[in-house]
Amino acid sequence: MKIELDRLSHSYDVEVLRDLTLSLDEYKALAIIGISGSGKSTLLRILSGLERPTAGAVRVNGHDVTSAEYRKQVGFVFQHHALFPHLTLLRNITLVLEKTRGYAPAAARARAMELLDLLHLADQAHKLPRNVSGGQAQRGSIARALSMDPEVVFLDEPTSALDPILTYEVLSAITELRDIGKGFVLVSHVMNFVSAFADYVIYMHEGRIAEHGAPSILDAPHSVELRDFMAKVPDCSFA
Amino acid sequence: MKATTELPPEPLKTARRELGGTTVSYVMAIATFALFALFVVARQRQPFDLTTIEPYRNAIAAGFGRTIWVSLVALVASTTLGFIFYLLSTARVGYFRAFTDVFTEIIYGTPLLVMIMITAFVIGPAFGSTNRAAMGFLGLIVYITPYMTNIFRSAISSISSEQYMAMDLFGFTPFQRYRYIIVPQVVRILMPPLMNNFSLIIKGSALLNVLSYRELFYEVSLMTNNTFRFVEGFLLMWGLYLVITIPLSQLTKWIDRRWGI
Repeated sequence: MKIELDRLSHSYDVEVLRDLTLSLDEYKALAIIGISGSGKSTLLRILSGLERPTAGAVRVNGHDVTSAEYRKQVGFVFQHHALFPHLTLLRNITLVLEKTRGYAPAAARARAMELLDLLHLADQAHKLPRNVSGGQAQRGSIARALSMDPEVVFLDEPTSALDPILTYEVLSAITELRDIGKGFVLVSHVMNFVSAFADYVIYMHEGRIAEHGAPSILDAPHSVELRDFMAKVPDCSFA
Repeated sequence: MKATTELPPEPLKTARRELGGTTVSYVMAIATFALFALFVVARQRQPFDLTTIEPYRNAIAAGFGRTIWVSLVALVASTTLGFIFYLLSTARVGYFRAFTDVFTEIIYGTPLLVMIMITAFVIGPAFGSTNRAAMGFLGLIVYITPYMTNIFRSAISSISSEQYMAMDLFGFTPFQRYRYIIVPQVVRILMPPLMNNFSLIIKGSALLNVLSYRELFYEVSLMTNNTFRFVEGFLLMWGLYLVITIPLSQLTKWIDRRWGI
């Protein structure tokens, strides 16, 4: 996947991203890390087209992220699964495919079951989100994101609402997806998962990219900020 | 093997043990109240005689019907009004939001009986209406309105912002959002509190008797004033209210279990 940031800035009331320029190519899994308020989630939302930057240009695989066509093929996984709670896991996927992608019901069903199977959820397909575990719901939302047939899947702290065991379950499922030929961009606080899964890491600090490079920078940080961050972040339960 | 015959180790803190099955417990609880009612009836000076009600059967049935009828109309009217007030409370114009806020505060602070008296004897005449029952009825509707506004607010706000972002990302049209995602959720969340408010209305409608509206309470009072059979009349009336409200609350719980999200 190819990511280009050209003098990207973004502000709400205050400036959250300050003049970011970066060009990445050939990486398959990009992790964005940093403390809360560092701008990492904002950067993820802009990359996924959920938010429009106040200044600068952003391209993912050559697509302008503010274009409508780009948004149509983005896969996004939210912190709290964001499945529609009144629909079964299966219907969460088929509704989207039928109503927004023009699938016939039978084709939508087949595609949805294929994806649920990929996430080991075939036996949970007919359950409502409230009747499955948090980890299963989050995997369901990953299946829904994949149903958009995205070039890039964005994950916004997909395990921050889960306990360690469910975190492990979800991160294992994501790891299994690594070679399905899609790009991944994720925000995560689970550092050993980041070093195992990502092939490029961006460390955000106060709206700037303080350090970036291969995951090995986590073990041997150059910048003071990343060194401080790595000293404070707890070891989580993903091995 | 020795290990299998050993008792499991005593837990440090014993969990609270529940005694008695649910069904048995409920039967016993209902029997307790039934016995209390029997006791109370047995203690009366006059022998209990339901046949004294017989001549008034039709009048009471009509009163019962009117209670249900006004409650249903009040339910529809206050739901509609409550939704309009909800829209006003989310309006851009500050005055509308303030208006609904002040209105809610006033109603929440007012006893229903006072509300009914004010609309029937003060506000009604000011607008040239001497139909007290109708004005009191209007008072009931207005009184329930902020409670309805409230359930609309909580139902609609329970749809998370992440869901809206997801709808946005998938590219649902505004119609599709309402048709497939927002309305089906809101209806499910809305049903239980709506039914509770219906119960509130049914109970509140008893107060319309003070305006001589011939609902259940009024008809029974009329009868007891003639026959002096207060025990039979009031118990029957009580039973008739419970016959509507208890199944309603059970239905609400069932709906919530079956359709809740």
